[in-house]
Amino acid sequence: MSTELKRALYNISALADLGQEITAGGSNFQEKIQAVLYVITGTFLTNKGAILACNKDGQMHILAQRGFDQLDPGRAAEEIKALARNEPCLLPAAFGADAGVAIGAGILTPLWVRDEFAGMVLLGEKFTADPYTAEDFELLRIIAAQIAVALNNHSLFRDLSAQLDENRRLYEEMRRIYHDTLQAFAAAIDAKDAYTKHHSQRVAKYSVAIARELGWNDHDIEGIYVAGYLHDVGKLVISNDLLNKKKPFTPEEVDQIKTHSTLSHTIISKINFPWKDVGKMIRHHHERLDGSGYPDALTHEDLNDGVRILTLADAFDAMTSRRAYRDKMDIQDALSELKNCLDTQFDNRILLAFCRVLDKEIKGELPEPDILPHFDRDSDLSVIAALLEGIIRELSS
Amino acid sequence: MNPAQFTVDSRLDGDTAVIYPKGYLNNLAGESLVAECGRYTGKGIRKIVLNFGGTGLINSIGISLLLQIIEDLRTIEGTVCFSNMSKFQVDTLDMLGLLKHLRIFPAESEALQYLGAGAV
Repeated sequence: MSTELKRALYNISALADLGQEITAGGSNFQEKIQAVLYVITGTFLTNKGAILACNKDGQMHILAQRGFDQLDPGRAAEEIKALARNEPCLLPAAFGADAGVAIGAGILTPLWVRDEFAGMVLLGEKFTADPYTAEDFELLRIIAAQIAVALNNHSLFRDLSAQLDENRRLYEEMRRIYHDTLQAFAAAIDAKDAYTKHHSQRVAKYSVAIARELGWNDHDIEGIYVAGYLHDVGKLVISNDLLNKKKPFTPEEVDQIKTHSTLSHTIISKINFPWKDVGKMIRHHHERLDGSGYPDALTHEDLNDGVRILTLADAFDAMTSRRAYRDKMDIQDALSELKNCLDTQFDNRILLAFCRVLDKEIKGELPEPDILPHFDRDSDLSVIAALLEGIIRELSS
Repeated sequence: MNPAQFTVDSRLDGDTAVIYPKGYLNNLAGESLVAECGRYTGKGIRKIVLNFGGTGLINSIGISLLLQIIEDLRTIEGTVCFSNMSKFQVDTLDMLGLLKHLRIFPAESEALQYLGAGAV
């Protein structure tokens, strides 16, 4: 085999090495460029080489280099852009011997992709002291075009990543504002009734705890959290005098109070929530499994898990909170009441999940309890735990 | 051993470091060979034998790394000898016009003998 043919094979192999390094998965960009620089210096037998990239603001920076003691590409960036695109050129011819882009550099190749200046490749004199040949120039032209595309792709990817990060940041910001607004709304609802302060917040938290225990995904959990916060928004339309009335309600007043769930639904119906069934959960949070609830007297099959969770969470908090017309129940009595109303009002699985999560919170198995912090300090947790154990055993069998 | 996994062993023979690259010298892992040479020159060793008996493939990246080692030794007026290279490896260096710049010996013992004769 002739030396020329062997050299041609070596060059082809070098191009293959270059392609492999540029497209290699798993390595970071800096490693890729370092490997590419080794391929080039190994191909052209030089101990000096550098790959530089041009920033969006036109500044050149070194991505990888070896052998150059001084490298000051900024001095000649504009002159480099004026050179033929992706065409290697001998440095003294391009700038004169004193241009000083890099002391010891022999060849410079400006890198362009379409009309975008991507950077440049610098190579020193050959180790063998042989001159660069026409074949070397041709090979370097091919290599330069590949490196230019790689740099451009990296730049595009970096821009996209930055845009993605910014979008993510904006989304999180909007989400935070959304939740703040939600909480402000809930505070307005709860402020209507002195006895239901933080009720919406607690119902949201209890619902989230149950949904999580049932294995819901994060997206759906966020949906029931929102429903919990807004389920009583319709009370904003009902008079304060009625909501805070200390004497028993008349039948007409009861009917008026009952309109709050449809009012809530009407108010939020204009909002296009990204979560499913928020409207349904809000409208039906006073329905009962036996069909005796309101506003639509739905029964078992028409009530999804979200509705069943919100119903139980709402009822539990109502029972364990003081009202204008009655004192609050203790936790044990409320749990017993929930159990007594199984099948007619509440769902077995939902109560079981509620008891399990409460049991875990009491045992300290959950890092951030949602229900326990709202209990009275003087609650006897050992008694509650025993009661929960019994209910869990019974409902699990 | 996976030939694509590059490792470096070495030993001191008098005032000469004998270094054994193993695996393919074809990616950034080969930088460990340059580093190993640097470790010895950093201790004042100026004679190095690179025994390529355990090295199969040497590509453009490998050539670049070898040039760096040669340059580093030249800078400190030291000597590096190559030994136990395959015919294909020697042919590659010949084709690249590098043979006249290198000292290549068929066996490690011959390289050590050459260096022991006082070559620097």
